[in-house]
Amino acid sequence: MKLHATYAGNRVSNEELLKVKDLKVWFPIKSGVIQRTIGHVKAVDGVTFNVLKGETLGIVGESGSGKTTMGKSILRLVKPISGEIYFEGINIIKASRSEMKKVRRRVQMIFQDPYASLDPRQTVSSILYEAMKIHGVVKSKAEAMEKAVQLLETVGLSEEHLYRFPHEFSGGQRQRIGIARALAVNPTFLVLDEPTSFLDVSVQASVLNLLKDLQRQFGLTYLFITHNLAVVHHMSNRVAVMYLGKIVEIADKDDIYHDPKHPYTFQLMEAIPLPDPDVKKERVLLEGDVPSPINIPPGCRFHPRCKYATQKCRREEPQLMARNGCLVACHYEIDFSAGKIVGEAAA
Amino acid sequence: MSQQVKARKGEWEARLADIKYSLYLLRKNPLVIAGTVIAAFFIILALLANVIVDPKLAYPEGYPGGMYPFERKYVWNANHFLQWGPGVALYKGPEFFPLGTDSYGRDLLKMIILAIPVDLYFATIITITAAALGTFIGAVAGYAGGIVDEIVLRITDVFFAFPALVLALVFASILGRSLETLALAIVLVWWPPYTRLMRGQVLSEKEKPYVEALKALGASNLRILFRHIIPNAIFPILVQATMDFGGVILTFSALMFLGFSPSPAIPELGNLAADGYGHIFDAPWVILFPGLTMLIISLAFNLVGDGLRDVLDPRLRR
Amino acid sequence: MTKKQNKIQPILEIKNLKLNFHTYMGEVKALNGVDLKLYPEEVLAIVGESGCGKSVTALAITGLLPENAYIIEGEILFKGEDLLKKSKEEMRKFRMTECAIVFQDPATYLNPVLKMETQLKEVILLHKEALKKAVIAEEEGKRIGYEEFLAMKTIKDNQTKNYKVSRKKIDKMAEKLIIDILKLVKLPDPERILKSYPHELSGGMKQRAMIAMALARRPSMFLADEITTALDVTIQAQILYLLKELRKKIATSTLMITHDLSVAAEIADRIAIMYGGNVVEVASTRTIFREPLHPYTQLLLRAIPNILNPTERLESIPGTVPEMINPPPGCRFNPRCPFAMDVCVTKKPELKEVKKGHEVACHLCW
Repeated sequence: MKLHATYAGNRVSNEELLKVKDLKVWFPIKSGVIQRTIGHVKAVDGVTFNVLKGETLGIVGESGSGKTTMGKSILRLVKPISGEIYFEGINIIKASRSEMKKVRRRVQMIFQDPYASLDPRQTVSSILYEAMKIHGVVKSKAEAMEKAVQLLETVGLSEEHLYRFPHEFSGGQRQRIGIARALAVNPTFLVLDEPTSFLDVSVQASVLNLLKDLQRQFGLTYLFITHNLAVVHHMSNRVAVMYLGKIVEIADKDDIYHDPKHPYTFQLMEAIPLPDPDVKKERVLLEGDVPSPINIPPGCRFHPRCKYATQKCRREEPQLMARNGCLVACHYEIDFSAGKIVGEAAA
Repeated sequence: MSQQVKARKGEWEARLADIKYSLYLLRKNPLVIAGTVIAAFFIILALLANVIVDPKLAYPEGYPGGMYPFERKYVWNANHFLQWGPGVALYKGPEFFPLGTDSYGRDLLKMIILAIPVDLYFATIITITAAALGTFIGAVAGYAGGIVDEIVLRITDVFFAFPALVLALVFASILGRSLETLALAIVLVWWPPYTRLMRGQVLSEKEKPYVEALKALGASNLRILFRHIIPNAIFPILVQATMDFGGVILTFSALMFLGFSPSPAIPELGNLAADGYGHIFDAPWVILFPGLTMLIISLAFNLVGDGLRDVLDPRLRR
Repeated sequence: MTKKQNKIQPILEIKNLKLNFHTYMGEVKALNGVDLKLYPEEVLAIVGESGCGKSVTALAITGLLPENAYIIEGEILFKGEDLLKKSKEEMRKFRMTECAIVFQDPATYLNPVLKMETQLKEVILLHKEALKKAVIAEEEGKRIGYEEFLAMKTIKDNQTKNYKVSRKKIDKMAEKLIIDILKLVKLPDPERILKSYPHELSGGMKQRAMIAMALARRPSMFLADEITTALDVTIQAQILYLLKELRKKIATSTLMITHDLSVAAEIADRIAIMYGGNVVEVASTRTIFREPLHPYTQLLLRAIPNILNPTERLESIPGTVPEMINPPPGCRFNPRCPFAMDVCVTKKPELKEVKKGHEVACHLCW
């Protein structure tokens, strides 16, 4: 893997911090009086990737792709049905409660909705103090308050905000409180689930800048989940594209945008509205709707909407394989500008 | 928000500001003010009742002893604005009874004043106990889910199958005839609605993002339930308890009325009303005024509860 | 385009609209003198962040303001008539025939217990007269599709008043037109969609159905309030493409409200930037991106992560969106403006035309 030391502003090492192997998270669908399981929502259906220490791995996908569920399973907020997640060598899925508590100190999550992810009846000081208390980070309340003030200043708030309730803050400020809470336990790995989707553009800019600064300052590793392709390009070193519960492509962020290998990745990039009125493309749009993870098509999941689908695509599901420094799950090599298949992927 | 910065010194100051805001909202609602005033009046009356009126008046000469210590003698009202039907004999004595007397010759007004603290006291105890019990069971059931939830639901279903009063009668006849056992009977009947209410609240709070965030933080289930979910879900319970206050008084009185009172001399609104049951047409005041008092107290607390509900509705607040 | 604008009258003109909301905490001065012009057959995007008043403006135009809103001064002229002076009934007619609005979350605007066909037909059946004419025309042998129905709106024809048409025929005509409209918004299998309930459709389909409901009214003005915000990126691209196509077929003037400048870049002819209850800059799309004059616009453009031109840090605007109960005096952007001068605190800048077709509200630009 290449080292992106300066462009995104962070230093990436070669050490693996998180390793996910064939993760599957299925939710049973129950029906009938006796609640029999008649099927499953296969939210995450076999995902394998790793995250290097110090990097930001972006996960993009649309609704139904499973990216949020995958993020939650790393924090063990949902129970996977199979697969392995290794964090610093510990298998999160099989860890005991006390082991998991130790893991929780190192892995934290920033949530999507700044309005709802804080207990409306807690003041900021109480929120931060509780985080520290749960993990025994401080020995006394006085120490905790000192640390709380420091945390607030780190995220761009100040001491006077300590005794206020969440509803007295703006969206961007609440998100900063959420970040402060996550940092209160001194984590090394942050899972960020759409942290700026609910924020205005200018606020988003300052929160993203903050996240980058924090990464540099504390040597954090980020798993950045979002549907906003421009944001993920700005923040990440590598990007993984998810579709219907599987990763279809992982590559360096520039490769994803300027040289996508998977047809779905290509369509995603085509669909992004660009903040430049002169760059008018003749867009080839993706037809149809984002599918539901209840009825997954056989073979390659993308084949019903793919322009290049062949018989092989309808029968065989492609695996994630290395190609030119990226990982792609597609049977063919496709030249998108010419609009045709130019080769078969090596088995 | 940043333009109104006014640093707060501590946690309590923040909470106080929150309460001040609630009171501000309450002030805006005229019904709530009316209800609060009336309720406050009754509460003060209850506290001072034993001072205003000599409690021994409830038990005229000859009492401690048997169940029916004194003769019945009907004394008509000397207030000539209230003329009742044929056969009325006016009492030609020196005293003036503003509300008339009951069948034992006691001044009805004084009896009602003595009865108010009894009713309010028991209603408070019953409401708080039932609410606390129901809330606890409901919260645990809602949060735990699964089989615990199912069992609790079925138990409450059984309770709901019976009309409250009938069930209370059954419990009362099992438990015996004292004011305390009556209160217990009512508590046993009154807790299921709170359970259902709390369970529903907990079920919806459980799904909220902040609970997930707390789990991600590593908070234990106990902490999440008692320190976070219950405080957030408690408001409908408070509203319901306030509104139920009137209903509890009525139920308690009803039980006394129906014959479960340990002694007919006890000053209690239902008890007083029971006295006049047989004489609704010739001495209607005996049943009318205690009933009216119950009505007004109920209404007052109902209004307060209603206003509280409007104020505490989270959509209007935040 | 700019030459024409000098001669063509705007179809909608908002003049110095000032609006407040009564709330428990005080008066929220939501709109502080909004000036806006919408020309016929153009797409004007109103771009702004939360709290800038763009949705409130849309509600004011359509007469859907909540009870606690009151207008302090200003006019909203639609084809010369002041909408603010109209009664509720007149506004209802206005919403029925002249102006259609589509909102952000289709799930909350569709009735979950009624089938789609009931809801869509309900809209088109409001135009009983026009449907009657269509049935008569069809009986005379003309082929009536949605486009013809649209053309009929402008024909005033009193001959058909005494002619009785059965309800069944009107119903059938309505159904035919609805299917035509659904095909126009590219919904596959319209017959099946009509028989479905809203929850059986996906977000993108519901939004298309909402657009269909809007078009069924044959409006002269179409308001789209953040219609793609809740949609996935590929679906958003489809809807934007659809709107562009429909523009060619159905020449309505469109007011597109969004917080996303990139979406505005895709579809709008002109862009109006709003901040703190004012329109601060209006220009053609190209001009806004290439030569923004207002400091807020400039900062906003630099705050967007741009794939084509990536930077390490994004430029954020210091401070927060003004709180509208006690907004800053003078120009509402002055606390955050890097170029704020003394006059900015005392005097509110008027929206003036600085170059042809480019209006700015800033003391710097004069």
